[in-house]
Amino acid sequence: MSSSARTRSAAGTAWPAVMGANDVTIGFGAATVMSDITVEFPAGTVTALVGPSGSGKTTFLRSLNRMNDKVRNFWLRGQISLDGVDINGPAVDPLVLRRRVGMVFQRPNPFPMSIQDNIVAGVKAHKMAKRSELRDIAETQLAEVGLWSAVADRLDDSPFRLSGGQQQLLCLARALAVKPEVLLLDEPTSSLDPRSTEAVEELVRRLTPDLTVIIVTHNLEQARRLSDSTIFFYEGRLVETGPTVDLFERPQRPETARYLGGAVNPGADR
Amino acid sequence: MAAAAPGLAGSLRGNETVSSARRARNLAWWSVAAVALLLVIAPVVWVLYGVFQQAVPNWHWTVLTQVTTGVGGGLANALAGTGVLLLGVGVLVAIVGIGCGLYLAEFAPTGLLTSLLRSASEVLSGVPSIVIGYVGYVALVVGLHWGFSLLPAVIVLTVLVIPYVAKATEIAVGQVPLAYREGAEALGMARSRMLRTVVMRSAIPGIATGIIVALAISVGETAPLLYTAGYSNSYPTAQLLHSAVPYLTYATWTFYDDPSSAVKALAFDSMVLLVVLVLALILASRLIVRVTQKHSPARATGGGGRRAARAQAAKARPAR
Repeated sequence: MSSSARTRSAAGTAWPAVMGANDVTIGFGAATVMSDITVEFPAGTVTALVGPSGSGKTTFLRSLNRMNDKVRNFWLRGQISLDGVDINGPAVDPLVLRRRVGMVFQRPNPFPMSIQDNIVAGVKAHKMAKRSELRDIAETQLAEVGLWSAVADRLDDSPFRLSGGQQQLLCLARALAVKPEVLLLDEPTSSLDPRSTEAVEELVRRLTPDLTVIIVTHNLEQARRLSDSTIFFYEGRLVETGPTVDLFERPQRPETARYLGGAVNPGADR
Repeated sequence: MAAAAPGLAGSLRGNETVSSARRARNLAWWSVAAVALLLVIAPVVWVLYGVFQQAVPNWHWTVLTQVTTGVGGGLANALAGTGVLLLGVGVLVAIVGIGCGLYLAEFAPTGLLTSLLRSASEVLSGVPSIVIGYVGYVALVVGLHWGFSLLPAVIVLTVLVIPYVAKATEIAVGQVPLAYREGAEALGMARSRMLRTVVMRSAIPGIATGIIVALAISVGETAPLLYTAGYSNSYPTAQLLHSAVPYLTYATWTFYDDPSSAVKALAFDSMVLLVVLVLALILASRLIVRVTQKHSPARATGGGGRRAARAQAAKARPAR
């Protein structure tokens, strides 16, 4: 409700929202994956989540739009909030939450339908537009991610004929089409070539400050280039958080210094 | 390459001796596979040859237009009856079979009850068709006083082939990549919508194959129909009950040793019609796959789609 009131126009984006985690502990069954995470993602900024493989970054990210709800034995203590409202509260519809908090995955995952239908799949699901407007929405979104000129004459084609990078941009366009206020990116460029990576990064930079972006990345250079603040996770704990520049230039904790220097998990930093 | 790098020549020659032994092994396996393939193809060719060789000399196109009479006539009534049966089975098995498969793949909680349900379906596919036919006869034809008629015949055939469609659906839905579901979930798509627009769409080839297998089995069944459909020399009526239904396999089974050569010829004609009907069903399934999978990843990269569909079809057939 409040989200529709915030929407500027059909073509514009919604206002970015603040996300926060307060004393969050996450686990599966008997295992605790992350503990005591308290952090805030300011509206309209890019926050990078970095840390070695298995440090719980992705699990944490997926908790922010309740993608873990149906995972077996998943549990969460503490509070994750969107604009001050507990997202796991009884009044929150997970479908509406996920419209407001979008997500793009490690590997591009277009649906087996035409390019246009892919872009407007979420728009249709949330009944955000009339049938006659769908083509225009597809064009607007494709233009926003810089894909329009490449696919203008093949909106009815299969998305699987596009290159990996183009597919990922398509997925970004699909996620943006439902006007999210927060966008979660789970290693969005790890399966892409350098040029496509650049295109995605450039897009993310253009999206802020209209959108709050939270990105998990193994690419430390990417975190450095892209994010306003960085959170370093290590073995299920939040070790250090702060402005990206500070974390990289003046890390306070020895683990941070070692990881950002590339020593803890050298293979992960490509 | 060897000439360009003489230092490697020795090791390359060493590789060559290994590869000749490997080549022999390759040839051996290739031959085994080729013989196996021949063993599969030969009976098909043999059967087709036998049927057409018997049918073609006495073939009259009136077989398709005339009803059966005591001394000959045609098979128009049986063809129409088989068509009506197929239509009924197709509708019923699509609803119930896809429903079962979707439930097992998507909604059933993992546990004892679900595995019992799943094995029940597998047991059902192992029950001989004549037994199911007899149960239908006792329960429906006699028990409910429905008489030899369309409804009991359709029900019995449907029960017989439900496991194929249920299994095919379960497998096809289970094979839909998790990435599609996650993508749909992340957009805030409701589950029902996700199933309709994303999951079922990419499961269509597997489901269609299952339904075609089911229909092909229905076309070829005789025993359950003897118990439930009866037979008549006239066209099937619009009645569901108390009106016998003619069908092609009856002609094959009964007319074969008829003293009248005209009637006997009808038996071979019915075989031709059965074979053509099954081929038409297979073509139809290919067409469905082609039309609905325009945007599948396999289509974009080429080749994989048909291979995947075939693999699914093979898995969809429970052991009989």
